[in-house]
Amino acid sequence: MEAPITQATAHNNTIVAVFPDRVEIKSGWQSQNVESFNLREISAATRGFVNATLKLETNKGRVLELTRMAPPDARRVRNAIESQKRLAGLYD
Amino acid sequence: MRRLTIFMLTTMMLVLAVPALAFAQDAPSTAELSLAMDTMWVIIAAVLVLFMQAGFAMLEVGFSSMKNVGSVVAKILVNLAIAALLFWAVGFAITFGTGNAIFGTQGWFLAVPAGQVNEVYAGLAWTQVPLSAKFLFQVAFCAVSLAIVWGTMLERTKFAVYVIFAVVFAGLLYPLVGHWIWGGGWLTELGMQDFAGSTVVHLSGAMAALAGTLLLGPRLGKYDDEGRPVTIPGHNMPLAVLGVLILWVGWYGFNPGSTMAASTQIADIALTTTLAAAAGVLGAMTMSYVYRRNIDVGMGGNGAIAALVAITAPCAFVAPWASIVIGFLAGVIMYATLVFVDRIGVDDPLGAIAAHGMGGIWGTLSCGLFTTPALAAVGEPGLFYGGGFYQLGIQALGIVACGGFVFLASLAVFAALKATIGIRVKPDQELDGLDIHEHGVFGYPDLVATDYQNGNGNGRSREPVSGAKTEGTL
Repeated sequence: MEAPITQATAHNNTIVAVFPDRVEIKSGWQSQNVESFNLREISAATRGFVNATLKLETNKGRVLELTRMAPPDARRVRNAIESQKRLAGLYD
Repeated sequence: MRRLTIFMLTTMMLVLAVPALAFAQDAPSTAELSLAMDTMWVIIAAVLVLFMQAGFAMLEVGFSSMKNVGSVVAKILVNLAIAALLFWAVGFAITFGTGNAIFGTQGWFLAVPAGQVNEVYAGLAWTQVPLSAKFLFQVAFCAVSLAIVWGTMLERTKFAVYVIFAVVFAGLLYPLVGHWIWGGGWLTELGMQDFAGSTVVHLSGAMAALAGTLLLGPRLGKYDDEGRPVTIPGHNMPLAVLGVLILWVGWYGFNPGSTMAASTQIADIALTTTLAAAAGVLGAMTMSYVYRRNIDVGMGGNGAIAALVAITAPCAFVAPWASIVIGFLAGVIMYATLVFVDRIGVDDPLGAIAAHGMGGIWGTLSCGLFTTPALAAVGEPGLFYGGGFYQLGIQALGIVACGGFVFLASLAVFAALKATIGIRVKPDQELDGLDIHEHGVFGYPDLVATDYQNGNGNGRSREPVSGAKTEGTL
């Protein structure tokens, strides 16, 4: 099974995991809802000092806000997404 | 024959006389005997309170998943170690050192000039036992308060958080509250009654726990898709009950030991402690049956703990009948609080907020209701004995001040930790268990490691995460 580059827990059983080519968001009581976004179609931003919010925006206009994250976790996810996108740009 | 008789008589006289002479030369005075008895009692009580750490360990292990038991015992050990060292270095001086109404300013590192113990530690000048015995007994209390903090934060907290917060709590937060109530601080001056620490020890720990839990968030899977709480059962209920019973026994050091003297009062305090705990079990079990139509074992145990917490403050001030009322109501209040806390989204695996928090509040308030005029060594008699509302008001003030201070200070510390290093482990660490990720071993290696050997380690790869970056293709 593929290991994520980084991952973090957000509010309400939500898990965000960054893989080399995609971001997966698992939600639901038993992580039964899995949504996958290609890194090309997503941008990430964070805000907040104690309870951080990770804002993921797809190029189709969909906005996902993952709340109550630890700021270091949220920043790590954002940085991993940006880093992977830069790497992808190098290979294009 | 005559010489033999004289020899035997002389020998017998010597045998009888010499020990008497020896005793006559070294016979301890009544005061020395009293001091020795007091010291022995305080040391025994301190050991009983220290043994409560074993109770907390078993209770937390029993209420945890199998995959996290190693983490629990590691946390107990490191917290006890940190509490001992920090309380020795600064905590004891802040709590009992002579100082102002807010904190003590003398006696750092337990260093006292010869013959000046009572001047340096004015907060404990009322007991005659040696300084080392006073410290040993009080440090055990500090360790108990710290252990309470983590009951709500099990199974998802980073180990570093335990260590850093323990330093702040044992070195500053607990000692400050201790000084206010026990060390000659402003609540001592007002006459607040807290004989063995319902507020100082238990409410302080529970408020810190609440602050941490609010920032930490619930365990994965604790709430379903509609937001309803889901019971995540502990893996070993007999261990949890063993923990409760160890705590119950340890409380005989906690409450009667707080006399810090081997007086006859310890028997009366042991009686009120026992009656309250027994009533607490029944109160919680009754609530469990009324609410769920079954007798919840864990709740019975928590009822005993809540009652023991509640009787901790008034144990020396109330009549036996009152201790039964206090204990039974503590069990009822604990259960109602637990259900409420669960519903509002605060995940408290052990019930520490309900048992230690509400138990502590109820116990502290009960002093203002049930304290008898004959036993009111501190403060005034309770409301039910004609003492009016004065003592009840002082008790309420103490709860608000101490509980509010510890909550806000802890919230600030946990917020700082969350903003810098994060306080929660990664999701796969939480799902796989903290034992293997944080400590590199399993609590039950024979039961869990076999799955990994068969390639069934929760379906997760063991490859290092850092290697994944180089494999990416977009």
